[in-house]
Amino acid sequence: MTATPNAAQPSPNKPDSKQPDPTALVPGGQGRGRLSPALVTLGILTLFAWSWWSLDVEVAKFEGAGKRLAQFFSGLVPPDLTVMETVARSTLETLQIAYIGTVLSAILSLGAGLIAASNLTPAWVHQPMKWVLGMMRGIPLILVALVAVVAIGFGALAGVLAITFHATGMLGKFYAEAFENADPAPLEALESVGASWAQRIRFGALAQVAPDLVRDTLFRFELNFRESLVLGLVGAGGIGFYIQLYARSFQYEKVATLTVVVLLMVVAIEQISTWCRRRLR
Amino acid sequence: MAYLADRDGGSRMEARAQDNAKTGSSEAVIRLENVSMRYPGQDRPALDIETLTVKEGECVALIGPSGGGKTTLLRLLNGTLSPSAGRIEILGKRLSGDAPMRREHRRRTGMIFQGFALVERATVLQNVLAGRLGYAHPWLSLFGKFKEEDRKLAMEAIAEVDLLDKVHERVDGLSGGQRQRVAIARVLAQAPDLILADEPVSQLDPALTLEIIDLLTKACRRRGATLIMAVHQPDLACAHMARIIAVKNAAILFDGPAKALSEEVRSRIYDRDAERRPA
Repeated sequence: MTATPNAAQPSPNKPDSKQPDPTALVPGGQGRGRLSPALVTLGILTLFAWSWWSLDVEVAKFEGAGKRLAQFFSGLVPPDLTVMETVARSTLETLQIAYIGTVLSAILSLGAGLIAASNLTPAWVHQPMKWVLGMMRGIPLILVALVAVVAIGFGALAGVLAITFHATGMLGKFYAEAFENADPAPLEALESVGASWAQRIRFGALAQVAPDLVRDTLFRFELNFRESLVLGLVGAGGIGFYIQLYARSFQYEKVATLTVVVLLMVVAIEQISTWCRRRLR
Repeated sequence: MAYLADRDGGSRMEARAQDNAKTGSSEAVIRLENVSMRYPGQDRPALDIETLTVKEGECVALIGPSGGGKTTLLRLLNGTLSPSAGRIEILGKRLSGDAPMRREHRRRTGMIFQGFALVERATVLQNVLAGRLGYAHPWLSLFGKFKEEDRKLAMEAIAEVDLLDKVHERVDGLSGGQRQRVAIARVLAQAPDLILADEPVSQLDPALTLEIIDLLTKACRRRGATLIMAVHQPDLACAHMARIIAVKNAAILFDGPAKALSEEVRSRIYDRDAERRPA
């Protein structure tokens, strides 16, 4: 209300002979820009049918699937615990990759998020940053990891770089949205006490959204751990390498050990993260 | 000298208040000449003031209908807006577009907002300390390091609004009246020469309204600071403030002592029908 004090006042004595038909403004009618539901349904079905037939999907393949699955699962028991040491070591490596990636991406995202927040920077600054972040999270992690491995060779460092890059694309966007949702009034109040730009960001914006940033970061850590599993497939470190190694050589009892450990880790991390997030207000 | 004055802001203000009382006359804190404010994309100015002078230590109520120009005037005075035309002088110095000068002006000018404008997740002390940011170290403050005198002034301000028992409580757990007290403490911590208040009581019930206005006027008198407060209720304005300025349709409609605000003027200020009738 404060920015446009005149807006509340009716424009006086404006000759307005042509009253617009009020019903024309009601949304939901058969106005322009609306697609008919029948047409949309037809479109969806056509696309589905085309995809189905061109993939040459054979329903007959289901035959014997149950037998093969039973064979697979019976191969899992009993799990081979002799690989426990390898499993523990590589799980820890995945965890470390995810953790370092989270910390690094949180630092990068803080800068990127501030730049990408539409209420803190002009459009020519935040818009390009938003595009860059969109591109970063748009590239699948496995592709990023592949490029990292090509650039710096096999190992955990490639995994860390890949996860950091990928996570920053998402976390930077989340941070920017947190800043954008901040109440502008305290920022204005700080401007009125003569605070500098950095002080306004620190005491006006950051003080308001810090718990949201931590919440986003914890969530991203969960995702980082789960997504780090695929890093091993391209040699970028972690437990993923062993999953594919054992699976390809049909050592299912070892795969079983891996699967159980990974499952427990995922559940544990999710529980801890949820517990922490619930305590943030 | 400046350091001493800052540390001892309270007694400096009191001494000045006594000076003013003795001499009877005081210098003009604010002088506006032919000031016009036009927002981009609007064909009419939001404010058009030929001349306006406010003396040091005055308590002025700004009344008038919503959208009449009260907030625009306050924003011009605290330097967050620059006039499209005209001259604004604060303490004899022209308020220019120069950023350091504006910042210097802002840190000596306290602004109280309608919606409190506090950081809800921060504590009372953190919010009040923010009032000292204009004086705090530019980058040490970013790590939460404040000078001893900044902390002292903040604690004194909190004591003045009677919230010492809530110093470390978060603002989102406080009531509306307590929140406005925090906002007032933030302004008092600035040790300002000029306090601007934009409808500080519009979200409070009648009892709290009186309490807050009382607190504000007393704090200003103790410091000899000038107070300009926008209020909706003319009765409230007349009861507590010496001078009334009514702003309507972007212009000053009335400016004088509270006693001189007649029924006739009042009805002209708030008569919406008169506004719509062709002149």
